[in-house]
Amino acid sequence: MKKFFAKNGPGYFFLIPWFIGFFCLALGPILYSLYLSFTKYNIFKPPKWIGLENYEFMFLYDDRFWKSLEVTFSYVFMSVPGKLIFALAVAMLLDKGMRAIGFYRALFYLPSILGGSIAVAILWKQLFEYNGVINSLLAKIGIEGPYWLNDPNYSLYTLVMLGMWQFGSPMLIFIAGLRAIPRELYEAAEIDAASKWKQFYAITVPLLAPVIFFNLVLQMIDAFKTFSSAFIISGGAGAPLDSLNFITVYLYNEAFAFYRMGYASSLAWILMLIIAVFTGVAFFSSRYWVHYENERD
Amino acid sequence: MTKIDRRKFMKAAAATTGAVAAVSTMGTQAFAADSTIRHFWWGNPSRDKRTFGVIEVFNKKHADIEVIGETLSFPDYFAKLTTQVAGGNMPDVIQQGYGVLFEYVDNGALKPLDEFVGKSLDLSKIDKSALAAGTVNGKLYAVSIGANSHMALTNTRLFDEAGITFDPFGWTYDDVKSIGVEISKASPDGVFGTDDNTANYQNFSDFVGQKGVTMFNADTGDYQVSAELVEEYWSMWTAIREAGATPPGKASAGLIKPPMAEWGVVTGQTAISYAWSNQLVGAQGLVQDKLGTAMYPNTPAMTPGSIVQPSQFICLTRDTVDGVAATTYMSAFVNDTDMTAILGLERGIPANPDVRAALAPNLSEAEAASVAFFSGIQGKTATLPPPPPSGANEIEQTFERIATGILLGQDSIPEAAANFIRQAGFIRRRAG
Repeated sequence: MKKFFAKNGPGYFFLIPWFIGFFCLALGPILYSLYLSFTKYNIFKPPKWIGLENYEFMFLYDDRFWKSLEVTFSYVFMSVPGKLIFALAVAMLLDKGMRAIGFYRALFYLPSILGGSIAVAILWKQLFEYNGVINSLLAKIGIEGPYWLNDPNYSLYTLVMLGMWQFGSPMLIFIAGLRAIPRELYEAAEIDAASKWKQFYAITVPLLAPVIFFNLVLQMIDAFKTFSSAFIISGGAGAPLDSLNFITVYLYNEAFAFYRMGYASSLAWILMLIIAVFTGVAFFSSRYWVHYENERD
Repeated sequence: MTKIDRRKFMKAAAATTGAVAAVSTMGTQAFAADSTIRHFWWGNPSRDKRTFGVIEVFNKKHADIEVIGETLSFPDYFAKLTTQVAGGNMPDVIQQGYGVLFEYVDNGALKPLDEFVGKSLDLSKIDKSALAAGTVNGKLYAVSIGANSHMALTNTRLFDEAGITFDPFGWTYDDVKSIGVEISKASPDGVFGTDDNTANYQNFSDFVGQKGVTMFNADTGDYQVSAELVEEYWSMWTAIREAGATPPGKASAGLIKPPMAEWGVVTGQTAISYAWSNQLVGAQGLVQDKLGTAMYPNTPAMTPGSIVQPSQFICLTRDTVDGVAATTYMSAFVNDTDMTAILGLERGIPANPDVRAALAPNLSEAEAASVAFFSGIQGKTATLPPPPPSGANEIEQTFERIATGILLGQDSIPEAAANFIRQAGFIRRRAG
């Protein structure tokens, strides 16, 4: 015990503000929402216990729930790898040590600060309108752009692109990770005439694995929780044809448009379970592909 | 570096917080009032400015009551109100619409006004029909602050250029098609005759009435529309679209319940949009061409489908701290001509004849047009049905969602219509 605190004490110390927030502010509502998920609650009248009925309805009868899962999963599986690859590519570019590197780093980080905001979602919507900037650029090279936002075959891609564009924070973490890789390894590889590509997958990727893993987990959780951009771009209703009805958007509408707080709570708990399972799987699989330098075998 | 003084900073901070504009009467009153009343409404910039003006007048006249205004846009308004219901801290006076009033009364969120009537709340001048609309189960819960009806807005320049004349109080869906096609032909590329109402539930509810059907059973709340009727409606608008009177379906699919700034007559994409009569004033403010007014189209049988209904009510909530002070304010809101002069017709036609008379000499062109519209529709509207039951709002959203599939050409009309009716029935059962 003593040893544990000697080793991890400072870490927990820095977590104190977060613990205070969690135990004093968040824990109560979280547990209450678990209770609500077993009730019928329309906000006006006290919650009524209905056992597993919400979950039963969700899994057996609610087509919109399954559709929202499909949308959410498609988004996560497209945007997260895309974003990580993009972030790593830019990080490697910036790692080359060019002039005014700080400026570029700040510049590339900018979308991540703006990206979550409502204003950017609105701007994004305008860019992808039928008569918007994207389509007029496509027209210049002779392509007739689709109705990006109105056509369910394309609408999700606009959001995936918006998600990928916010690659700033994984990029910063990747840069720090790249810096930590000893230069001698590359020099030795050069001497042995290893190609750039070979250097990348034999040195960079394995040594960067802990950072890749960290970014993967964070970005995955983040992607599952995507709400504001989807809400704005889909006009608040997940339109067109539920193609942007993320589970978060769906549960928001169930709660605040249709006053089904109990059902919305059960949707929220399913989302939380999904995130927990995926994070768990990532951690479990990491044993096989992530190796820490200071690990003792 | 530019110097930012405190005032500039406060301005910027106020602009960024934006969402909730809670304007107190800072500076106008040196003494603390005995009673503080919160008034919450949904609005738009013009309405907000007018309403804050009204509050200022009231606060000057009543030193013992201080009213504080709060406003949000329509969808955010109800999201916030819901959390306030749960938290037991609703404002004293809130705005309500006919569509949701029943749900709030049914769940005990509103306080009956009867004990205040004739004392702090003077309703002696208010039209009987307006009072009836705010009465649920024999008790008065809501005071109408303006009457409203469905109104089609036309771009008179495009109509003139195409040389079109029509009867704005007796035109049919066939007229919409032929007029729409003519305007599409006569106008430059990218300008079409009419907005596409395939996913417009307002038009659909008119159509249901025009077919002699009552949407909800008054006793059971059952949805009484048949799949055949839905199919007929969607087929009719599909024919109008395929004739070339509307923009392409894929374009209209992005305009489900669009904000005013995206209406066809406002963007200039079409020559006819379908709205509420009290929106004429706001819409005219956004376009240079003069807007004309018409009823929604009808079938050749001309059975009335539109109704005149209160556009908005003010209500007293169960969380009020001082019912007398709150109803004093509500009373002034509908009777005090200094206050109603500021409101004008922005919320619809007032229910108090004295107020209407006081407004008459100073009406703007658009306001005068909306008054003329109201005299034109006399005798051509249906009687007001009882307030819609729980789930009505969800049925409307479901209609819009399924209709989007028709606009995109993805779903067959009979299947979509059957699907909609099945879901509407299900929503009602789940709500009950």
